[in-house]
Amino acid sequence: MQRPDRSQEAVAALGLRALSGIDTAELTEEALAVIAEQLPGTRPSVEEGDGFALSVPIPGSGGPVGAIGLRTEEPREFDPGEVAFVQSVANILGAATERARAERSEGVFRELADNAPVMIWTTDPDGLVTFVNTGWLEFTGTTFEEELGESWTLGVHPDDSRRVADSWYEALAMREPWSMEYRLRARDGEFRWIVDRGVPRWSDDGEFVGYVGTASDIHERKQMEEALRRVYEREHRVAETLQRSLLPEKLPEIEGVTLAARYLPAGEGAAVGGDWYDAAELPDGRVALVVGDVVGHGLRAAAVMGQLRNAFRAYAITEASPAAIVARLNRLVMTGGEGVMATVLYLALDRDTGEVSYASAGHPPPLLLTPEGPRYLEGGRSVPVGAADIVTFREETTTMPPGSTLLLYTDGLVERRDTPLEDRLGQLAAAATASSGDMEDLCDEILQGVLGGADPADDVALLAVRPTPIDAHRLDLSLPAEPEQLARLRRRLSRFLHAVGASDEEAYEVTLTISEAAGNAIEHAYGPGDASFRVQAVVENGEIVVVVRDSGQWRDPRGHAPTGGGRGRGLSIIEGLMENVEIVREAHGTTVRMRRRLRAAVEA
Amino acid sequence: MSTSAEIAIEREGGTVVARLNGEVDMTNASYVGDELTRAVPNDAVGLVIDLSGTRYLDSAAIELLFELARRLQRRRQQLRLALPSDSPLRRVLLLTDIASAAPVYDSVREALSDG
Repeated sequence: MQRPDRSQEAVAALGLRALSGIDTAELTEEALAVIAEQLPGTRPSVEEGDGFALSVPIPGSGGPVGAIGLRTEEPREFDPGEVAFVQSVANILGAATERARAERSEGVFRELADNAPVMIWTTDPDGLVTFVNTGWLEFTGTTFEEELGESWTLGVHPDDSRRVADSWYEALAMREPWSMEYRLRARDGEFRWIVDRGVPRWSDDGEFVGYVGTASDIHERKQMEEALRRVYEREHRVAETLQRSLLPEKLPEIEGVTLAARYLPAGEGAAVGGDWYDAAELPDGRVALVVGDVVGHGLRAAAVMGQLRNAFRAYAITEASPAAIVARLNRLVMTGGEGVMATVLYLALDRDTGEVSYASAGHPPPLLLTPEGPRYLEGGRSVPVGAADIVTFREETTTMPPGSTLLLYTDGLVERRDTPLEDRLGQLAAAATASSGDMEDLCDEILQGVLGGADPADDVALLAVRPTPIDAHRLDLSLPAEPEQLARLRRRLSRFLHAVGASDEEAYEVTLTISEAAGNAIEHAYGPGDASFRVQAVVENGEIVVVVRDSGQWRDPRGHAPTGGGRGRGLSIIEGLMENVEIVREAHGTTVRMRRRLRAAVEA
Repeated sequence: MSTSAEIAIEREGGTVVARLNGEVDMTNASYVGDELTRAVPNDAVGLVIDLSGTRYLDSAAIELLFELARRLQRRRQQLRLALPSDSPLRRVLLLTDIASAAPVYDSVREALSDG
């Protein structure tokens, strides 16, 4: 059974909890529990102290507001991935704390507003202050005389006085209403924000007699706006962090295909989007690729994107058809509620036959670059996921000619208000076809050709896939003698045996015997990196001939093998399934030679 | 890239039916064995393992089937295997004589209906 790494999922779930508005203390407890669960053997805490094996700051607008510290039973190092995970959790706590603070401030503001004295002033036609009320004097703590004439300006904050003076004298000259927010020194000596409004007055004879104005203390409101702005910025950064942590750092290395990808966040000022891409090898030997775009921005989109990415990996393993997988993603998003939608393109590729089946839920069509020219794969289209409960998701199958490359991307690459979509798709095809370099060059040249160096308005994700041809005549493979390599060995053998025309039964039996031959080295290697095994296979005269060399010693099956019947059974399997088995045990290692007829073998 | 297997458990009267999908080799054999043992309560008559969705078994996996048969027998429960006649695994399983420890049937239905 596979044990998936759940730290990304945990971070996404915590982010959603923070958004749901739970109490900060509760969120902190949950955050610490998540860390303890993902990093067993650690005791996380937000208490001050020392002796922490790892300490990570909780960010705040004016600097760190605390730290998450981890204590461990035994001394231990944390790898960059683990530190990044704890930092992600700290960022979420920081954002939630900031928001809670802003909300408390709002409460204080309301209370003040109810009791706030109104400040009133008047001027003569030359703009000189002739009267201020007690409310003003209570605010400033000055005397009546000190506020008359122009001297009221002395209380204005130096950074605001130019702005206040310029706008006031301009309005005065035009005898127009005036309004300004600025800082005025209050009775405690500190500057507070006020909003000041003045209107011109005329006598009954139509003569201009000066201004009358009122001012209000808006200090708490101003501060709250500031805090909210910082919270938004921080939320934006948390969403970015979340999204970055959820994107694969580098794509997995998948044997038989070359992958390259690019992710470009939207330009400064645009909200963080929910684009993602991923690639995985399926148990049946095909390669699954996915690209998606969650509608909406910020933390919520990033969290949903994380859920979809994890779901893709889980569903791709169990479902066979692209339409079924997209249908399951749809159910997942629909049960999440709250009108979240996403476009998704799922594609499964057979590396050996070039067969591609795919389903697009509202997503732009993948581009297939063949030696004969480019074409878009337009079939298998349905609505985005999360749009409706009952939807028929379609899929389409086609074949990639040898030497082709497939491109998946999100609409940030091709959506432009001023240009029709077909033109942009044409530009993309042209840029892709013009490139003659390797996969990395291809990605760079596409981005340059389509975006022209400008920042995109929406996130852009680009994933390029090129199957690499397999030699159908001989196999020569060396692998470390570790149990985890067995799956890789099977994948490699499956492709080779398919290519030489073996039936499913023959492929299984040959794969099994080779794995059993390698199994001895794997079971008895002295330590990691200590041993390796080499498999060479060739098909000649309708027979497959295999040599497996390792640096271990075969246990005598009739002796006392530490794994009981296992190894003995392995040897009898080999002898039962292959026609000529020859085992040579030498001091430095063992060589197993075996051969077997294949019913429909392709001649070398 | 690692080995993965999925187990889906159902109850058919007194018998537990476990669908074993995916691949089982030495890296996950004992885990799968524990899960299958855990899936059979004391009051069950036996366990049928549906191997129709199993793509790969190695000697460690086959060993676990023998071990599982022994564990169940200690509790007076029987292990049966269901494997379509055209499964690529058939010849290998017969070669190992697993049928002597756990009878092999062509389908789950046949495994359940045989007395």
